Parts: sequence; structure tokens; C-alpha cells
Amino acid sequence: MNGKERILKTLKHEPVDRVAWVPFAGVHAGSLIGKNATDMLTDGEALFDGLMQVHKLYQPDGLPVVFDLQVEAEILGCEMHWADFSPPSVKTHPLADTQDMLCDCLQPSADKGRLPMILDVMRQVKVAVGAETALYGLICGPFTLASHLRGNELFMDLILEAEYVQNLMAYTTATALKMVDLYAEAGMDVIAVVDPLVSQISPDHFTDACHTAFKTIFDYVRVKGLASSFFVCGNATRQLEVMCLTGPDSISIDENVNMKAAKEITDKFNITIGGNIPLTTLMLHGTQQENMKYVVNMLDSLGHDNLIIAPGCDMPYHVPAMNAIGAAQAVRETDATREMVKHYEAPKMDIEVILPDYQNLKKPLVEVFTLDSATCAACTYMMEAMNVAGEHFGSTIDLIEYKFTEKVNIARCIKMGVTNLPCVYINGELKWSSIIPSRDELFGVIDGMLS
Amino acid sequence: MMEELLQRISESLQKGKAKDVKVMVQEAIDSGMSAQKILNEGLLSGMNVIGVKFKASEIYVPDVLIAARAMKAGTELLKPLLVRDGVQAIGTVVMGTVKGDLHDIGKNLVMMMMEGKGLQVIDLGTDVPAEKFVAAAIEHKAQIVACSALLTTTMSEMKSVVEAFKAEGLREQVTIMVGGAPITEAFCKSIGADIYRPDAATAAEAAAEAAIGKSA
Repeated sequence: MNGKERILKTLKHEPVDRVAWVPFAGVHAGSLIGKNATDMLTDGEALFDGLMQVHKLYQPDGLPVVFDLQVEAEILGCEMHWADFSPPSVKTHPLADTQDMLCDCLQPSADKGRLPMILDVMRQVKVAVGAETALYGLICGPFTLASHLRGNELFMDLILEAEYVQNLMAYTTATALKMVDLYAEAGMDVIAVVDPLVSQISPDHFTDACHTAFKTIFDYVRVKGLASSFFVCGNATRQLEVMCLTGPDSISIDENVNMKAAKEITDKFNITIGGNIPLTTLMLHGTQQENMKYVVNMLDSLGHDNLIIAPGCDMPYHVPAMNAIGAAQAVRETDATREMVKHYEAPKMDIEVILPDYQNLKKPLVEVFTLDSATCAACTYMMEAMNVAGEHFGSTIDLIEYKFTEKVNIARCIKMGVTNLPCVYINGELKWSSIIPSRDELFGVIDGMLS
Repeated sequence: MMEELLQRISESLQKGKAKDVKVMVQEAIDSGMSAQKILNEGLLSGMNVIGVKFKASEIYVPDVLIAARAMKAGTELLKPLLVRDGVQAIGTVVMGTVKGDLHDIGKNLVMMMMEGKGLQVIDLGTDVPAEKFVAAAIEHKAQIVACSALLTTTMSEMKSVVEAFKAEGLREQVTIMVGGAPITEAFCKSIGADIYRPDAATAAEAAAEAAIGKSA
């Protein structure tokens, strides 16, 4: 089974030989060939060379061709602020001071903005690696595009100007459909609708203002015979269910969402989930072994059906290539990687950690040390148990989680003498190591300290 | 009666009813209630609830913005009275998104939450160079400098801000706060900043505590 078959089968919810791997190497691809972000997003030759290098080094099953949510906004009249190491940002919003709608004549076509370059690279990549690798065409989601056009005012419009938002979303949905046409024609296998901002609105607002738009796009992608994905950023835990109702083939999340809990939701809808290797703490600042260990742990704690391993979002430019290679290897050769890193311990930290004055605390302090409650199943349950206590005892106790994914917390673990994760210390004393206490036991211990 | 009016101001603010808040704040002023009491027990109390709910993901960005708009409608009526009565903010914050970064939703949310805690916030906008943070902190006698960044590539500018305050010999005078999607506690420590908080509500709480600490 090649990568393309693996991705397409995963998105059709069929069995595969191993979990699929999709590195989101947008501007980061430039770091592999000595080009900056602006080169990668404006120069077709640089983009193509970078993608070939990603393909060679990270051996992806699926490959996003360009990761830039500003392509459509630029065509529609937003001015850009270009940067060396990240995609451009939107500088001006053409609808900031008006509720007039933009002319349909501005909608994307193959000759506008950077599309001639992008479509050309898509075709080249299709010829070069498209037979064995699934190609992802990323389009800006209709809500984020609406915010590019309108600015932050859009958030208040959701409450004050619902009808206007409907009109604006209809416009940005039409933009998305044009992009689907163009990217389908250029040979993309998967259309990813990337809408980071939907995590910032309530599920009700999503349903009222965004459901129709996303449903329309995903239905259209299906009609075109392509697969779809819905990329979101931020803590979208509460939006996942309503996102599922729009009918994408898959959803991709970042490290702000608990992967295990998210997969329980997406599994209910038979939707594939992708994610969520932490971008900054792990891919950018971690070691290769930490990345390998993290991915192995993800694979060991999640069901392998309907699953894609990917970074939480577009990889930062400066991610060391060896970290992404480590993650790739952990997906492709999980058993060997598990063996390689089983004795790995993080290097000693030179971060100074000041422990609380445990003898003179004003209230009981519950410290939970986890690998990461967002991904490690045992840690999830341990943290859930502690959160129940947190809700019950409210402000009479202090409750804090230290995730091993952050360097400062690794230093804290070393200083505290933590040997097993997850574990719980109360007032500096180890109470439970790897064993999750029952509610009665936990409440009893805390009650005893409060009395 | 008066307590009930304050309660209604708080509730209307939480629902984002700017016009109602304005009418009720005027009613409270006309009844002879002190501007500070209206501010603290009506508007700020409502904004506090918004902060708690936002932190718990019970409400989202639009709800916070709409509540902040209602708060602004109320405070505009109170401002001249607060000045007349000599009421001071609990501290001053200069805030901006660092150089090279144009993202401001997070910064604006933190700003609103901080104002909701009784802090005066000087908004420097986006793409703010380090020296501008320093100049503004001197001009406004700020106790707190708050830097925001959304991009992994611009977060390093926060270190430039810390270094700029050191270079001017002002590092001890200000508390430097950092925040934004890619920021972590470890990063905050590594650049020598003072406070990192993961969300707007706790950032505002920390700023209020720091301001009180600095002025104590």
C-alpha cells in the first residue's frame, strides 16, 4: 500500500496497513533548502524544491502543497505584511468600515494573485510524486476568510448583525468553492478547509453562522470525487461535535485539544482524526528522541482506525529537520522506534525551578505530573479525576498540572524526584503514582487536610 | 433598591446590552451613587463574571467583545466623575503585539479583561518595536508591560523587549508579561520575562495582583 492509498483509505474509513503520516511543512520546507518564507510562497521553483525535499526527508503519506491562509484574502483585496519565517499576515481588511459586499468579479480564478504559481507547482508535484503521495490543497475556511475581509468586527457582527454575517459567509463560501474547483483541476486528492478561528466562537454561533457554509463546501468536495479535511487550531474541544455535523471526511486538531477525547467524538461520526504533535514545545524546542517518544506514545494510546498522525498545525519554520524525521520514523517504524527510545531520558535542564514552600501553604496544593493529559490516556484519566476534585473543592485547594512536554516541567520533575508518570503530589508529598485514586479516597485525603 | 440596580447593570453588561447599561448607569449616577461604587459593583463585577466564564470556555470571543462594548458604554459616563472624585486606576499597563506580528484578537481580549480589573491599559497596537514599549512605559509610568505574539517567529521579539528595558536600566521597575498561542511558561522564564498566563482572564488577574504588589 503506498502513501496515497493509505491516506485515501483512511479518509474512507477503511482498514490500512499502518497509521498515515502527514507533515504540515509549509514555510518550514524553506528551511530545508535555504529559502525564506516569502520565497516559499511567491517563487514556484523554491516551493517545488522545498516540497521535494520534504518528500525525501519526511516520507509523507500525504503532502500539503502550500500552507498559506492568505492566498484568497490577497486576491480579494487584503494587503499583506510579509515575513521571513512565517506566512504573511493580513494588514488591511477591505470590509472593515462597510457592510457592502465585495463584487463577485473579485472571486478567485486561475489567473489571479499567486494562483498561477500555486497551480503550476501543484501540477508539477502531481507529476513528480502524485502517484504515490496524496496531495492536499489547503483553502482558507469561510469564517477565517470572513475575518480577513471584515477584521475583528466580525465577532461582534455575529451577535449584532446576524444577517450581514450570513451574506458575508455566503460570499466566502463561494470563494471556497472556486478554490475547490481550481485545486481539483490541478490534481489535488484532498481538500483541507483550514479555519483556525472557529475555535473562538461558541458551538451555537458556529451552527447558526457557519454550519451551512462548511456543509456546502464538504458536500461539494465529495461531488468532485475528492476527500476532505477540516483543520482547526486552538482549543476546539467544544466545537468538535458541531464541526463533525458539517460532514468532512476528517478533522485535524492541534495540541490544545485532547486527542483521545477528540477521537471519541469523531469516532461517533465515523470521521477520521488527524493531529496533534505539539508544535512549539516539542517539534521546535524538543529533542529528536522526545519527538519519537511522543509519537510512539500517541500510537500506543489511540485506536489506529480513522487516525492520521500530523503536527498540530503548520510547522514553525525553524523546526529542526531531525525532529520531523524522528516523528516520521515513529509513525513508519513504531516498534523499532519504541525500542530505540525506551531508555531515553531528557537531558539535564539548566532551568531553575523554585518549589513551593510546602510547609507554609495557605491551602492544600495538588500537583499533578503528567506526560500530557491531552494525549496520554492514563494521564487523561488522572487529570480528569483531579479536575473532579478541583470542581468539588473549588478555591479551597490549589490544583495544577505539570505536563512533561514542557522543559520547565521536566526540570521540576527532576527536582521533585518524580519517577513515574502520571502521579499526584499533595503538599509536596507523593500520594499516588500511576494509580488513579477513587473519588472517595481522593476526597478523603483532601478533606483531611482541610479540617 | 440600589443593590438591585447594580446587579441589573452587571447582568446587562454580561449580556452585552450596551444601551441598557448606559441607561442604568445614568440612573445610578442620578440617584447619587458614587461613580466608584457603580464601577466596582456594577460594571467590574459583571466583567469579572465574563472573565470567569471565558476562562471556563462557557463563553467565547464574541461574548467578551460584546460585554466589553457594554462596559465601555458605562465607563464613558463614569470617567469624568471618577476624575473629579480623584479615583485612580489600580495600575497602568502598556500593551502591544510585538514587532513583526499583526495579530490583535488575543491582545484586545487581554486588554479588555485588564480594564475589567480596574487597570488603565495603554494600547500600543500591533507590530510594536521594543523601544516603543520602553518609551510608552516611561511616558505613562506603567508598572506592567504586556507583550503578545501569535507567531513562533515573532515570539523572540519578546526577548528584545526584556533586553530593551534592561538596557535602559528600567528592568526592575516593570513587571513584564508575555502571552499568545506559542508562548509557554518555559519560554517566559528563558527570556527573563516575569509572568506568563495561558488565557486572558488569568492574565488580567495576574496583572492586577502585580500592579497592587508594585504599588504596595
